[in-house]
Amino acid sequence: MTTISTRPHRETGEPHWIEWVTGTVSALLVVAMIGWIGLEALMEEDLPPEFSIAITGRAAVEGGHRVEFVILNKANQTAAAVVVRGEVLDGGKAVEAADITFDYVPADSKASGAILFLQDPGEREIRIRALGYTDP
Amino acid sequence: MSSVTNVQRGADTGPPHHLLVGLGRGAAGAMLFGMPMLMTMELWHLGFYIDRVRLFLLLTVNIPLLIVLAHRIGFEHTSTWQEAVRDATIAYGLGIVMSALVLALLGDLEPDMPFSEILGKIAIQAVPASIGALLGRSQLGGQAGNDEGGDKDDGQDEGKDGDAVPDQMSTSYGRELFLMAVGALFLSLNVAPTEEIILISFKMTPWHALVMVVISIAIMHGFVYAVAFKGAHELGEGTPRWHAFIRFTLPGYMVAMLISLYVLWTFGRLDDAAPTQILMSVIVLAFPGAIGAAAARLIL
Repeated sequence: MTTISTRPHRETGEPHWIEWVTGTVSALLVVAMIGWIGLEALMEEDLPPEFSIAITGRAAVEGGHRVEFVILNKANQTAAAVVVRGEVLDGGKAVEAADITFDYVPADSKASGAILFLQDPGEREIRIRALGYTDP
Repeated sequence: MSSVTNVQRGADTGPPHHLLVGLGRGAAGAMLFGMPMLMTMELWHLGFYIDRVRLFLLLTVNIPLLIVLAHRIGFEHTSTWQEAVRDATIAYGLGIVMSALVLALLGDLEPDMPFSEILGKIAIQAVPASIGALLGRSQLGGQAGNDEGGDKDDGQDEGKDGDAVPDQMSTSYGRELFLMAVGALFLSLNVAPTEEIILISFKMTPWHALVMVVISIAIMHGFVYAVAFKGAHELGEGTPRWHAFIRFTLPGYMVAMLISLYVLWTFGRLDDAAPTQILMSVIVLAFPGAIGAAAARLIL
C-alpha cells in the first residue's frame, strides 16, 4: 500500500508481496531486454539492405491490371525511399514499366505494395526489382 | 484558504452555472491536451486508414480507463462509481464534440468526405481529448475541484489546501500502476502517430537503444524520488532506495513499454516488422512514455 497525501507522497507500511513479485518480474524483463539488445549490439555486423521480392497476387482492376507483391529486406539495416520498378517483359524486352516508392523497408521486415499496369500481362513475364534506396 | 474561496464562490454557484463552469473547464482541458494531436497530419490520415478493429478496441478501452480515472481524480469530487461513470461519459462526449469542432475549424472535415472518414478522424482524436477533458477539470479546476463537496455533503471534510486531489488518499499498488499507464498512454498517443518514432528507431544502433533504456528508467526514478518536485514521493524512514526502484520504477517502465507496444500496434506501426525492430520502436516510444508515467504519479 502506498499512502498518497497531497505532498509529499510517502511510501509507508509493509509492501504487499504482489509488489515484490511485480517488481521482480519487471526487473527480469528489463534485464532480458537489455540482454537481447546487448547481444544484438555485440553480434551484429552491419549488412546493407538486401531485397527479395515475391508476387503475391494479380487481379484485373478498372483501367488496368494490378500485381501485388511483398518486398523483404533480409539485412539488418533499414532502407528508406526504396524505388521498385515493375516491368512486363515480352521476349526479354520491357513493354511496360511502372515505378513505386516505399517510404521504408525496415531491417528483417516485409513491406507490401502493388503495381498497376495498363495492359494485362497475361502469360508474359513480370519482373519486379528494387532500383535503389537511401539510408534513413 | 478553502473557507475564503468557498465564501467568494457561494454567491455564484447555482447548479446551472456550476455545470457550465465544469463543462467549460472540460472543454478547455480537451483543447489544451488534445491540440498537439488535433494538429498532427498523421493522425488525420490515421483517421481513414487505421484498422477499424483496432480503432474500435481503442475506443472501447478508453471507456473503463475514463471511468477509473474519473473515480480517481474526478470531474467533481467523485465519490461513487455511478458519478464516475457520469463524469466519464461527459468527458468522452466533450472529447468528441471538441475534436469535431476543432477539426472542422482546421478545415480538416468537409461535407463531401465519406462519412466513415469523418467519423474515423473524430473518433481517433476523441480518445486523447476525452482524457484531456478529465484532466482539465482536475488540473485547471484548482480549488474549485471541491465545490461540489461543499454543496452536497456538508459533513464531509473538505480539501484543506484546495487541491483537486484529496489530501489523504490511500492508493493501492494497482492504482499507482494504473496512473502510470494513463500518463504513458497520454504521452504515447501524442508522439506515436508521427513518422519520427519509427524513423528514430531505424536510425538508432542497438547501443543507442541500450542507453535509452537506462536513461528512461533513470529519469522515471529521478522524477519521482530524487528530484524533489512538488508532490514527489518520499520514501518511508529506513526504506532502502532500491526497494522503491524494484517495486515502482521497474514495473512502471514495463507499463510504459506495454502501452508503447499497444499504441504502436493500434496505429499499425509494427505490421510486418521483425521482433528486434518492434523492440527498438517500443523502446523509443517508451522514452516519452516513461516521462509521462512518472509525471502522472506526481500530478494525479
